[in-house]
Amino acid sequence: MNKIVRLKIGRILFSGLILMAISLPATVFAQEAQPPDVVKTELLEQGKQVYFKRCVWCHGVEGGGDGPSADRLFTRPRNFIQGTFKIRFTDSGELPLEEDLIRTVTNGLPGSAMPAWGGFLKPKEIEAVVEFVKTLVQDRDFNDVEDEEVFVQEFGSNPWGTKEPYHLGVPQEAIDQGKKIFLKNKCFECHGGEGRGDGNPTMKDDWGFPIVAADWQQCWNFRGSRRNHFDPFNIVRTISTGMNGTPMPNFKDEITVEDRWKLAAFVNSLCPRKKMDRLTNKPIADFLISSLYTEGKIAEKIDAPMWAATDHDPLIVDRSAETIDNPRKNYIAMAGQITRGNRNFDPKTDNLWVASRWSAEDNVIFYLVEYHIRFLSTDPEYPDAVAIQWPAKLQDLFGAEKPYFIMGDSKKPVDIWKASFMVQNYRDTNDPKDEGYQLDVTVEEVVGYGFDALASKESEATVQVVDSIFKQGKVSILFKRSLTTEGEFDVQIPSEKFIPVAFLQWSGQHKEKDEYMAISTWYYTILVPPLPDSLYYMPPIMAVVFIGLQGWLVWMTKRTRKMFEEGKARRDFIPDKE
Amino acid sequence: MNKTFISFFTFVGTMLGFHYVLFPIMDIREFSWVMNRYVYYILIPITLIVVNIGFRLKPPISLIALMVWVLGYYFYDAILFPPIPWTLFITYMVMWTIGTFLYISQDANTFREFRAPIVKTIIGEYKIARIVVFALLPMLVGFVTYNNIYPKFQEPVELRTVHPAPPATTKVHGKTWALETARNPYRIDNQDNYKNSFPFLDADKNEYMKNVTEGGTIFFQECHYCHGDQLNGLGMFSHVFNPTPANFIDPGTIAMLRESFLFWRVAKGGPGLPNESTPWSSAMPPWEEHLTTEEIWKVILFEFWYTGWHPRTFDTEESYIGQWEKEGKPTGAYSG
Repeated sequence: MNKIVRLKIGRILFSGLILMAISLPATVFAQEAQPPDVVKTELLEQGKQVYFKRCVWCHGVEGGGDGPSADRLFTRPRNFIQGTFKIRFTDSGELPLEEDLIRTVTNGLPGSAMPAWGGFLKPKEIEAVVEFVKTLVQDRDFNDVEDEEVFVQEFGSNPWGTKEPYHLGVPQEAIDQGKKIFLKNKCFECHGGEGRGDGNPTMKDDWGFPIVAADWQQCWNFRGSRRNHFDPFNIVRTISTGMNGTPMPNFKDEITVEDRWKLAAFVNSLCPRKKMDRLTNKPIADFLISSLYTEGKIAEKIDAPMWAATDHDPLIVDRSAETIDNPRKNYIAMAGQITRGNRNFDPKTDNLWVASRWSAEDNVIFYLVEYHIRFLSTDPEYPDAVAIQWPAKLQDLFGAEKPYFIMGDSKKPVDIWKASFMVQNYRDTNDPKDEGYQLDVTVEEVVGYGFDALASKESEATVQVVDSIFKQGKVSILFKRSLTTEGEFDVQIPSEKFIPVAFLQWSGQHKEKDEYMAISTWYYTILVPPLPDSLYYMPPIMAVVFIGLQGWLVWMTKRTRKMFEEGKARRDFIPDKE
Repeated sequence: MNKTFISFFTFVGTMLGFHYVLFPIMDIREFSWVMNRYVYYILIPITLIVVNIGFRLKPPISLIALMVWVLGYYFYDAILFPPIPWTLFITYMVMWTIGTFLYISQDANTFREFRAPIVKTIIGEYKIARIVVFALLPMLVGFVTYNNIYPKFQEPVELRTVHPAPPATTKVHGKTWALETARNPYRIDNQDNYKNSFPFLDADKNEYMKNVTEGGTIFFQECHYCHGDQLNGLGMFSHVFNPTPANFIDPGTIAMLRESFLFWRVAKGGPGLPNESTPWSSAMPPWEEHLTTEEIWKVILFEFWYTGWHPRTFDTEESYIGQWEKEGKPTGAYSG
């Protein structure tokens, strides 16, 4: 019996091998050259109309990537003239397939100003505009079938069968192997030691404009990842085809297809799983920062176990036993301050991550503020900085009323806790440094009656930064303050009350100062009280009361039965039965 | 008795199977007459009826009542779209519960039949059932109590007026504009005549498209960060701000407003809003600080041209333009 089974298995294995041997050449020959997708001239007129209504504003009249919006965008709109397109299934340096261009227009390029046009334009219009864009390419020729042949790349398929939306469940082994491939191929030279894109500050694109490496821990900004940001395929495609026009080469000869998937699994594992807003392709912000009630001393060290937490949404990725009782990190979305005064159209930080603890016993509150920034300033004139902004007169606000979110207004002042810092022994061209860099932090407490009416507080300093570090492209600052203070313009922080809070951030390397900064809208924070004692005694009491009720019900029902039997009461009369 | 159990488990199985397997398949985004959630829902009772009659399960009236009640709950909770507010949900469920009771108490027989298993459970004729029910219910009560006492904090809801009442006049760059009578000085022709004209291409050919091109240029330098490249309020910074930037494609925004209202909103921005509109959170700049009056009017002209909406006017658009022809080029302003 056993032998027969073994024989059968052997036969299946053998025939499988033969099948593989037959199909192997097929996969090799799949990379055969094919002609480029020539321009469909019949669609050009329609395409031109779509282009001049929708695209010309960024990509320019001649497709040079120099439309009215271009100078204020980072990264700049694509210049079509050289025929370099980022998202392709074809080899590095080659023209894209028509489908590639259609996919790019349909899905947009997350993390840039290029929106998704699918659902806005009809599929026919997208096809037409793609044909028109092909004619804007001057240095190459989509109609040159002889010299412009393309090789469609092999990507293999997801070996773990992970699923949308979060693609969890890749074995740790594959991720670890991916990390080795990452080290071996020196991806950190541009993408940094932990993938935050903090490797190389000097990169330029093909046109000489500055460009930065992708931050792997914010995969929703990966170009070509729309609505499926956590899919390792996006990364496999980029490793296989490179990004034309940028310093990102392909690694198709250095890394086998199987290894590319492992590398992708590693890169992908770094990206925090958050609920995504399908319209804007960004994580949904955590509008309420709950400060966790803490008994005993709160650790004043960022790497203390008490502060350990991943960036994942705990509802999506379960927390480990060590971190389950720690405060979660809240995602705070940031944008350039593009409203008043000197406006900042290309902020260097997209978001902050904030966690908080408070202690009633010690009368203190802590906020751990973290954010990714590729490079820090080395110019003392322009230090980096991050600030927490509060209504200074919380007690005077009525209902939902708040001060103006950009540093207050003439009637309602804000209290700004600003931590400015210079980094020690740092050059932005340094190699990745595991232990990170120490920061020299100066805390300033500012009263704001508007962005143009700021003043340092005269009262005694109350806010402290008890620990800080810059590690692998991430700044971490731990703020501490007493819940109640003496200063006239200090926010007094009550528990169990929703308190408006906003965040400001300045990148020194980008010469940000004053109102030239990144800003969030008003969020709320609340000091969550300890669990009430009634939580432990009320449920059993209610259950016991209910058991009593049940007993009473049984007694009543039995008594009624008895009364029926003894003839003291009559059962309800049913005519057609009797 | 056995058949009752079979019927019960078929019911549970059918509900789970339908909800987790068939629902995602049939509830597709695009409306179709066959593949939609209501057709899906109708299939559930049909399946249950066919199975119960087909296998002659003859479920007791109490089980039928349970099925009917659960199906009603499922409909209002998961099927009805868009979802209804919970107050309405409770009202509907009260009606549904009363209906179910009317059904089981339609005559004394069915009512007695319905009561029978309940009474038997209480007095202990169904021993196991009594133990299970009498043990589970107090636990449930304890759990609900725990859940109610456990402190939960959700961000407060903030209501705001989206289109607040405009003031009678507004002063921009030293000129006072009466919103009642102010007109867009660049609306010199019927917008529909330029449906097939294009910015840049036709900018040299006529004045209207020249102004649209200039307005668009400003839009794509200043406004698209929030209001989006498609004017749909989904610009690259839009997710950061609360309230979210206006979507001009939506019929509820510029399509229902007069140009003078937009002029006031654009010129004064967030800080110019009355308190009911939460001016402290709006990221809309007071554009008079960054743009000239002419530029503001051109952007407004562009927004209507791009979206194809017509601004609200007191008269028809033709007479609006006609009046301009009669009066000469309006400035819409008087020095105040």
